[in-house]
Amino acid sequence: MTVVSGSRRAGPDPGPPAADPRSPDRAVPHPGAAARGASRPSVALVVLACVLGACMLVPIGYIVSVVFDIGWPTLSRLIFRPRVGDLLRNTVLLVVIGVPATVVLGVGGAWLVERTSLPGRRGWAIVLVAPLAIPAFVSSYGWGSTVPSVEGLGGALLVTTLAYYPLVYLPAMAAIRGLDPALEESARSLGLGSWAVFARVVLPQLRLAVLGGGLIVALHLLAEYGAFAFIRFDTFTTAIVVQYQSTFAGPAAGALGVVLATLCLTLLVAEASARGRLRYARIGSGAPRPPVPVRLGRATPLAVGAVAVTGAAAVGVPLTSVVRWLAAGASWTEPELPAALAQTAVLAGGGAILAVLVAFPTAWLTVRHPSRLSRAVEGMSYVASSLPAIIIALALVTVTLRTVPSLYQTAFTVMLAYVIIFLPRALVSLRSGIAQAPESLEEIARSLGHSPMAARARVTLPRLVPAMTAGAALVALGAANELTATLLLAPNGTRTLATQFWSAASAVDYPAAAPYAMLLILLSVPAVALMFVHSRKVPAR
Amino acid sequence: MTALSVAGVTKAFGHVPVLREVSLVVPAGTRTAIVGSSGSGKSTLLRLIAGFERADAGEIRLGDRALTAPGSFVPAHRRGIGYVAQDGALFPHLTVEQNIRFGLPRRARHTSRVRRVMELVSLDPELSGRYPHQLSGGQQQRVAVARALAPGPRVILLDEPFSALDTGLREQTRQAVVDALEQSAVTTVLVTHDQDEALTFGHQIGVLDGGRIVQSGPPAAVFDDPVTVDVATFLGAAVLLPAAPAEGYADCALGRIPIRHDHSGAGRRAQALLRPDQIQVTPNSGPPNAVVDKVQPRGSYAEITIRTVADDTTRVTLRVPIHQAADYRASLPVSVRVAGGCVLYPLG
Amino acid sequence: MARRPLALLTAGLAVAALSLSACSDSGGDVPDDALVVYNAQHEQLTKEWADAFTKQTGIRVILRNGSDSELGNQLVAEGKDSRADVFLTENSPAMSLVERAKLFAPLDKATLAQVPERYRPSSGLWTGIAARSTVFVYNPDKLSASELPKSIMDLADPAWKGRWGAAPGGADFQAIVSAILKLKGRDATAAWLTGMRQNAKIYRNNIATMQAVNAGEIPGGIIYHYYWFRDQDGTKEQSGNTKLHYFKHQDPGAFVSVSGGGVLASSRNKEKAQQFLAFITGPTGQEILGKGYSFEYPVANGAAANPALPPLDSLEAPAIDPSTLNGTEVIDLMTDAGLL
Repeated sequence: MTVVSGSRRAGPDPGPPAADPRSPDRAVPHPGAAARGASRPSVALVVLACVLGACMLVPIGYIVSVVFDIGWPTLSRLIFRPRVGDLLRNTVLLVVIGVPATVVLGVGGAWLVERTSLPGRRGWAIVLVAPLAIPAFVSSYGWGSTVPSVEGLGGALLVTTLAYYPLVYLPAMAAIRGLDPALEESARSLGLGSWAVFARVVLPQLRLAVLGGGLIVALHLLAEYGAFAFIRFDTFTTAIVVQYQSTFAGPAAGALGVVLATLCLTLLVAEASARGRLRYARIGSGAPRPPVPVRLGRATPLAVGAVAVTGAAAVGVPLTSVVRWLAAGASWTEPELPAALAQTAVLAGGGAILAVLVAFPTAWLTVRHPSRLSRAVEGMSYVASSLPAIIIALALVTVTLRTVPSLYQTAFTVMLAYVIIFLPRALVSLRSGIAQAPESLEEIARSLGHSPMAARARVTLPRLVPAMTAGAALVALGAANELTATLLLAPNGTRTLATQFWSAASAVDYPAAAPYAMLLILLSVPAVALMFVHSRKVPAR
Repeated sequence: MTALSVAGVTKAFGHVPVLREVSLVVPAGTRTAIVGSSGSGKSTLLRLIAGFERADAGEIRLGDRALTAPGSFVPAHRRGIGYVAQDGALFPHLTVEQNIRFGLPRRARHTSRVRRVMELVSLDPELSGRYPHQLSGGQQQRVAVARALAPGPRVILLDEPFSALDTGLREQTRQAVVDALEQSAVTTVLVTHDQDEALTFGHQIGVLDGGRIVQSGPPAAVFDDPVTVDVATFLGAAVLLPAAPAEGYADCALGRIPIRHDHSGAGRRAQALLRPDQIQVTPNSGPPNAVVDKVQPRGSYAEITIRTVADDTTRVTLRVPIHQAADYRASLPVSVRVAGGCVLYPLG
Repeated sequence: MARRPLALLTAGLAVAALSLSACSDSGGDVPDDALVVYNAQHEQLTKEWADAFTKQTGIRVILRNGSDSELGNQLVAEGKDSRADVFLTENSPAMSLVERAKLFAPLDKATLAQVPERYRPSSGLWTGIAARSTVFVYNPDKLSASELPKSIMDLADPAWKGRWGAAPGGADFQAIVSAILKLKGRDATAAWLTGMRQNAKIYRNNIATMQAVNAGEIPGGIIYHYYWFRDQDGTKEQSGNTKLHYFKHQDPGAFVSVSGGGVLASSRNKEKAQQFLAFITGPTGQEILGKGYSFEYPVANGAAANPALPPLDSLEAPAIDPSTLNGTEVIDLMTDAGLL
């Protein structure tokens, strides 16, 4: 799992503190309300945010420079060849089949656990999100090392659908919980049956969640390396890695990168235009009382079976496989293990702190001083992190080698890659934290005699600590699982859990890979728990 | 204690003017309520006084000290002006006591001061260890007021502090807060959209409309003599009837009524303002001069719409206690009498 | 008390981030006097060498692992700024690549004297350190001895469609292709690669290829010999159902690939680097090849290969000067053929 972000669209996005609807003075848009929010951010802050935003664009700049450096004749020779056609076909098939499959599993699962009489639905709700804790490349190893026939397009679809459907499931669940049950009840009173209510009332209200989740799944499919490499399925990302291994950061890798980046940006644009004005449609203020669950009746065994099979395939098989290889003589005492754990902790921890620092100015600007500029800066971060890790890594290798050799293959550069890849996780957390620390509290503190900075420190900061911690944790846990960029950027001699796992799994030394796989899974659990709790929070009142 | 004065204050957000040359004097130790509808700029006025925003023009002074003036601006934390927000804005991570202590200087953070202001706003001392989310809405507002009072500010600003409370709680909380303000004799400005609240709150009322203070003065005087029809209707239920002024009287559908105040500018055509409780209707006493059009029960009272015999086109709606509603029915001839005088405005 | 607590906090976090990155730089890894080896050889083998070398000399060795062409191209890209002291490969084309970029320092005469001339380039800028032979691994259940290919060139025939596998993404196979290029010329090689794209199933590496043959997914595959012998020596899980076929007769498929080692001209620890090369081509280093985990052929000092292996001389390999193999052209040809 490389790109973020179940939480990007999935997570709650409270925006600026809502006006109290009971006050007529605030309920009507105040003529000054918007302008007031935009009041004078300090110049230094704006400059800082812009500079950081621009840094996030390094990978895009790299792609553009590849186009210019290689020149069109060479580029077109490298792009318009049968191999690229194969890769394109593979990648497109993967997205076109994989995304709908994850949507079916994700939305269906969310509906079953939230709105039906499914027995034990609280437990199933957790089972269904659990695959997120298993990095896709570990899941691929679990399947591939147990069932050798899992390979090619079919295998890739199986593994990634099971690994990524929670990215739709989580936002769908959050959206369903936010729906006003009165709508469904009205529909029922108008004579619609359960299925018709689901299709005509629930589904249309989930469009935003499905679009957002689907986009994230698609970006993950484009970015995934390990899962596909392991089961012999070629996509642009795997082909770039192979080219990198054959020619380092040469033109052929760059050319494939140009195509891949174009695919990603196309997806972003497509999703944005499909969303259109939906973006502004707010989902209702939430359920005042729990909805009456749809009775499954005779369909109950079928529903339980479906959920159980999904859980077994997505969690059971990989986990059993890891445990089996562990039992088959894995060694927990290898000296590399603690070293890899320590280096993973340093890199992921450093990346997390850096990400929070980088996200801070942007998050502050977008919440406290919303303007076209702040939205643009925020947008840059999202676009940059939508690019596959392999492109971000190629860009950083090339840029550091050419312009700042002192940063070339240093821990700092690895952390920088983590920041670019996982920044939205920190941004989303910080934004909601800052929004929950409204400026009005600072104003009160100032009226009580505290200078603006002191007011921030005593009132706002304590409220931000949980958000900063959560953001950092999400980044750190994502970074600990990161494989592709780490492979390319790690300093000499540095091995992380993910790269150690990968070198063992690549050498078909399955038992040796098992302890790392287990650690990677354990490390992911807290992040998934955080995301799960976040999605289940019914918007206050 | 010092008087607060606002002179010619103007403020715009972008190209949207919010306040235009607002002037106001709040004498030391008194309470002033600013009333206005949504978007009238009343919250902005308060924020300018508090120092959260800068005025585009004009001056704000506290006694001799210029807080906002051309070329000088005292930031919020040096003004010594307390502020109570609409939702209380209690610091959620601090207890009641810590909230109240928040503005006290380090050496003055004895609990005695905290206890004193808690008593002042009638807060149970046992609440001091609670967190804001463990308090009721009314308690939260009292803590907010106590917090603002604790450092002994010269001025306190209240931004619709009661509007989020339930009706019953609201009256009780308001009384407790007014008592506390009275005892500490602090200069107070309250903004509200609730006319009754504004009229009962203090010594002075200011009506803000379209970014201007259109009228100010003691509540009774302003209510008695609104300078415009808009102010009149904004401050309370009004009956407006076309009237012809004549030598201190106005002739209208309800007969000849003495003029208390005349704002009509001596035009031939005018309208007369009456308050519904000035109009008394009786079913069977005296000569009938009107006919009941319809009767609509409204809970504790009933609305009776009548048309006068003299002018069939004029409808007047007035109220009677619900227990008398049974005395009326449509087409019943009634006798209508007007007590007191009217205020005259130009028509249209 | 802090007057600007937010700024202080930010500064604190920044310091924390910097010191974390600093400690991972220094604490983990690259002290100036440690020997940095860009290692494309099997990590396990180089670790055996490095550990023995450290034990003998006390010099710390740090490995950066990668593949031949990746690290070779990386050295070229890094140029004089590279932190690498030593470069070890599995095959010679990547060595030639770095040699052509003039990045190698001449090796000590004594080191060169340990290695027979046919296993090193005449330039003396690098040396062979081990050798491995191309083999055709096959599953006797799927392929009888009479059906075995006579030459590696046969595998491009339509008759072999879907019946063999290889790992063209790896440097091993690319070295084999460079031998074909050297022996048969550009056009024949391009044609052969096109045939391969039609016929071959593509695997990630030699082990995966051998495993597929073992599982009967494909009848045969092109790999290097030592993967088979290592597994035979161990669990036989991945090779129990397979046999090896040697092409012999100076066929391109009988190609013996020379693994190389060299010292970078930009090295800041040249003396230690020379010492390391002398060590691995010396008696102890070559003995590790013969006795250790690797099952590769020793090339220097007359050290004995693992007795399980057929003698190197019996393989009838084509005579190819290791320094003449061209990796870049091979990669271009393979890219054009759609294999990369």
